[in-house]
Amino acid sequence: MNAPALSAVIGQPVSRVDGPAKVTGTARYAAEFVPDGLAYASVVSATIPRGRIRALDTSAAEGMPGVLAVVSHRNAPKLPYLERDQRPPVDPKSGDQLRMFQDDKVLFNGQPVAVVIADSQQEADAAARCIGIAYDETEPTTTFDPGRGRPPSEETAKGGRPGAAGRGDGAAGLAEAATTVDVTYVQAREHHNAIEPHATIAQWDGDSLTLYDKSQWVQNVVVEIAHVFGIEAGKIRVISPFVGGAFGSALRTWPHVTIAAIAAKMTGRPVRVELSRRQLYHSVGFRPHTLQRVRLGAAPDGRLTAILQDAAAQVATYEEYAETTLQPAETTYSCPNVATAYRLVEMDTNSPCPMRGPGIVTGLYALEAAMDELAVALNVDPVALRLKNHADINEKTGLPWSSKALKACYETAAERFGWADRIAAPRSMRIGTDLVGYGMATAIYHADRAPAEAEVILFANGTAVVRTAASDMGPGTYTSITQIAADELGLPVEAIRFELGDSTLPMAPVHGGSITLVSVGSAVAEACAAVRQKLEALTGEGSIAERLRANGLDRLAASAKASPGEETKRYASSAFGAVFVEVRVDEGLGTLRVKRMTGAYDVGRVINPKIARSQCIGGMMGGLGMALMEAAEWDPRFGKVMNANLAEYLVPVCADTPALDVTFVPSEDTVLNPLGAKGLAEIAICGVAPAIANAVFHATGRRQRHIPIRPEDLIGT
Amino acid sequence: MIPGPFHYHRPTSVAEAVALLAAHGDDARPLAGGHSLIPMMKLRMAVPDHLVDLAAIPDLKGICEDGDRIVIGATTTQREVIGSDLLAARLPILAETARQIADPQIRTKGTFGGNVANGDPGNDMPALMQCLDAVYRLAGPDGSRTVPARDYYQGAYFTALEPGELLTAVEIPVPPAGHGYAYEKLKRKVGDYATAAAAVVLTLDGGTVATASIALTNVASTPLHAAAASALVIGTGLDAATLKAAADAAKAITDPATDGRGTAEYRREMAGVMVARALAKAMRRAKGA
Ligand SMILES: Cc1cc2nc3c(=O)[nH]c(=O)nc-3n(C[C@H](O)[C@H](O)[C@H](O)COP(=O)(O)OP(=O)(O)OC[C@H]3O[C@@H](n4cnc5c(N)ncnc54)[C@H](O)[C@@H]3O)c2cc1C
Repeated sequence: MNAPALSAVIGQPVSRVDGPAKVTGTARYAAEFVPDGLAYASVVSATIPRGRIRALDTSAAEGMPGVLAVVSHRNAPKLPYLERDQRPPVDPKSGDQLRMFQDDKVLFNGQPVAVVIADSQQEADAAARCIGIAYDETEPTTTFDPGRGRPPSEETAKGGRPGAAGRGDGAAGLAEAATTVDVTYVQAREHHNAIEPHATIAQWDGDSLTLYDKSQWVQNVVVEIAHVFGIEAGKIRVISPFVGGAFGSALRTWPHVTIAAIAAKMTGRPVRVELSRRQLYHSVGFRPHTLQRVRLGAAPDGRLTAILQDAAAQVATYEEYAETTLQPAETTYSCPNVATAYRLVEMDTNSPCPMRGPGIVTGLYALEAAMDELAVALNVDPVALRLKNHADINEKTGLPWSSKALKACYETAAERFGWADRIAAPRSMRIGTDLVGYGMATAIYHADRAPAEAEVILFANGTAVVRTAASDMGPGTYTSITQIAADELGLPVEAIRFELGDSTLPMAPVHGGSITLVSVGSAVAEACAAVRQKLEALTGEGSIAERLRANGLDRLAASAKASPGEETKRYASSAFGAVFVEVRVDEGLGTLRVKRMTGAYDVGRVINPKIARSQCIGGMMGGLGMALMEAAEWDPRFGKVMNANLAEYLVPVCADTPALDVTFVPSEDTVLNPLGAKGLAEIAICGVAPAIANAVFHATGRRQRHIPIRPEDLIGT
Repeated sequence: MIPGPFHYHRPTSVAEAVALLAAHGDDARPLAGGHSLIPMMKLRMAVPDHLVDLAAIPDLKGICEDGDRIVIGATTTQREVIGSDLLAARLPILAETARQIADPQIRTKGTFGGNVANGDPGNDMPALMQCLDAVYRLAGPDGSRTVPARDYYQGAYFTALEPGELLTAVEIPVPPAGHGYAYEKLKRKVGDYATAAAAVVLTLDGGTVATASIALTNVASTPLHAAAASALVIGTGLDAATLKAAADAAKAITDPATDGRGTAEYRREMAGVMVARALAKAMRRAKGA
């Protein structure tokens, strides 16, 4: 392993460059822009799970103070909703997206059916409550019945979510195994619940449209809205400088963006649509409820002979969102026989969508919980079992890893955690009256990279601006990319301003899937190199400022595009990790507390250890929520999430936070990208929930095969 | 969320407040800390036309000793209950309970009187008042009367308080020095109302229980005074069998609802665990351990 090149800024724990703006409130989020004449929208949601709107009485609402317009399928413009040549990676590959106010159909409870626009939010909300709607209901499908599961469509399968996949002969591998487990796991529907609600402000100027939007991909919003309205992409600008958390909910362009644009068109005013917390549960996506069956077979020495993993996930009726749930079964361990089966269960619900670690975190939950059950059946240490089945190459593709330091992750994390103190038998560790459990799991998340462009401008006052249409939903992109530019330009971090979140800036890929740093960072590094070359071509010497001034220049700019190349055909890339957890269980109450968590991660070169740690502890807490708290309470009578608020949908808070220990093992991946990084976001939530579930078994001796695990599950017999 | 329109009154005496409440009858509500009432108004679960704010009435505030009783004025805040030296010396279970209510912001505004008057089965003070056999002083247009805490609660949000009446203070008989006490509360998340909770006060005679009183929070539509459970621990040394019998007797009178805090079965079970743990803790304290 080569030691990373020494740098004054890369690898330094630089504090967030956007931190002061955020804590002083000057950072402007989508809903906070106030164009002249801003009007406010209130979206009216359907209250039945399926049927048609028979009658819509808007007369009372229209007469209310401040009301500018009430828009529904009766008066909304007919929109072309043109099909895109190629669907963006953030959209489902088949089915039809929800169309706003184009007909009288209701496809799920909560679907937008009308919007009121008024001079104030209060007036809009008041009028929205006065709209009378009569429905013709049809028999809805609101239960999750895996028997109705169907394989994904051909388009979805082609997009990497096939109905069946694997290698070797799963059944034969199972038949030859000396030890097998056959277990079923349930994972609840989860919602992103970022602090910032989704919001869009739309402003038309003639036929040009400006959108202030909460988005993880501003340039995709442009293309999407251009197709919805049948207008030129060049006429649309999307602005999103700050995003208050998203976790995947702002990857797609949701219907409320279209609603804002329709409302602004119809009123001739800029219009703001800000979804309420309750509306977020049915207006954007969620992590789908998923049922999985895992069968593992192992030889007496612990070597896996078969991995069979089946998953059934809920899906909307109108659109086919599918996940890479079963990919970990193919990539995490070495095993000659792997068979996966993926099914979708249609329900009258809004469409699910990616949520941090989409698919992988779900599949890994079941796989890693089953591996723990196998370790118990084989009577071997869970870490030893994983080491025994270490995947030296990616056996799904047959390609070598571009880098892999997973063994170091197990070793480092086990050491820091004190795994050696674990008494293997369940129920054998206690502190006071509490049962103590230790559990662990593997983390894996594929490392990808996409083409990106960036522009760098040097100024004669010694500062520089870096520009690209990326987003920063909170992971620290503003800071890490600034560090990369500072390093390349030899300037202090304070001398660089990074501009992002504007669709008119150079092309950037989606801010998701942990690809931003390696994709955008590589482009920025190249643009910096390009501008340095230009600088070197100038006469004179000294600092950047001195050189520019010596040549009578007040600025010098260069752009670059950086793309992944042939290496993606020769190597498989992935981030890895190992998560260890201690839980305490009060058996009298069933209460369960995570006492501490240790994660060791192989994420390539760490650009900023401070924000990298923040990413990891955030992911750990997301995993804690998934394991013990987060669940949509779905009422099949209404086809509705009943706990659509932050009082009843539990998320972990500071008081639930255990001691969190994060380390990064030495790693550098210059195959994936010249920076040597691998991307660090999804990996941090992977493996956490199964590590907790496994610790709960170790503490109590009782297997909980569902998440979240609740106190009432742990009492009685 | 914004409440509907209402008239706001700010009387400076009990008489004035009672007059306002009597004049508007069912359309008026006293306003204390507002931390139960205002959320209900935002949800339109309460739509009073008149709010009679008690904040400017000096007579309603304060904690004092009156012979063998402690009297707590209605608008004394939960935070003041926690900070009171008098209560710490004579009735430490009050602070122990108040500390388990919600969070510091809410305890700073929320009042003791509002908590007991409210009638929400989730409130923690009512069961404690039943445990301590407290008496509520009510003032109305026809004068004053007292109602024992054990008779005050009739159903969720239904109490013995008549329209036009105000709770002015709570009288609590002080248990003998050296009594054992405990308020045990199980919460689903930090700051939440109880999944189940139990209040216990007991005295010892030698190693055995001489007097005991047990009450339960949030496992029925009203707080519950667990009289049978209380009776059966008297004369015992709180051995394991007695703790179990007391827990079973307490569970038998519960009727919890299934909600986000757990299933009815779980909550009933937890009521029993809370009782057993509170008894054991009270015993340890009485023994000075
Ligand atoms: C997030 C949250 C969590 C909470 N958690 C808990 C908890 O865990 N445990 C708990 O016990 N409480 C909890 N509460 C409630 C809190 O303690 C309230 O403050 C308390 O219940 C009511 O007191 P108040 O002074 O705010 O009364 P208000 O809200 O002003 O009034 C409540 C009701 O009592 C009536 N009222 C008030 N004072 C009088 C009076 N003197 N005479 C007659 N009627 C009167 C009002 O008209 C109203 O109907 C919580 C509240 C919130 C918002």
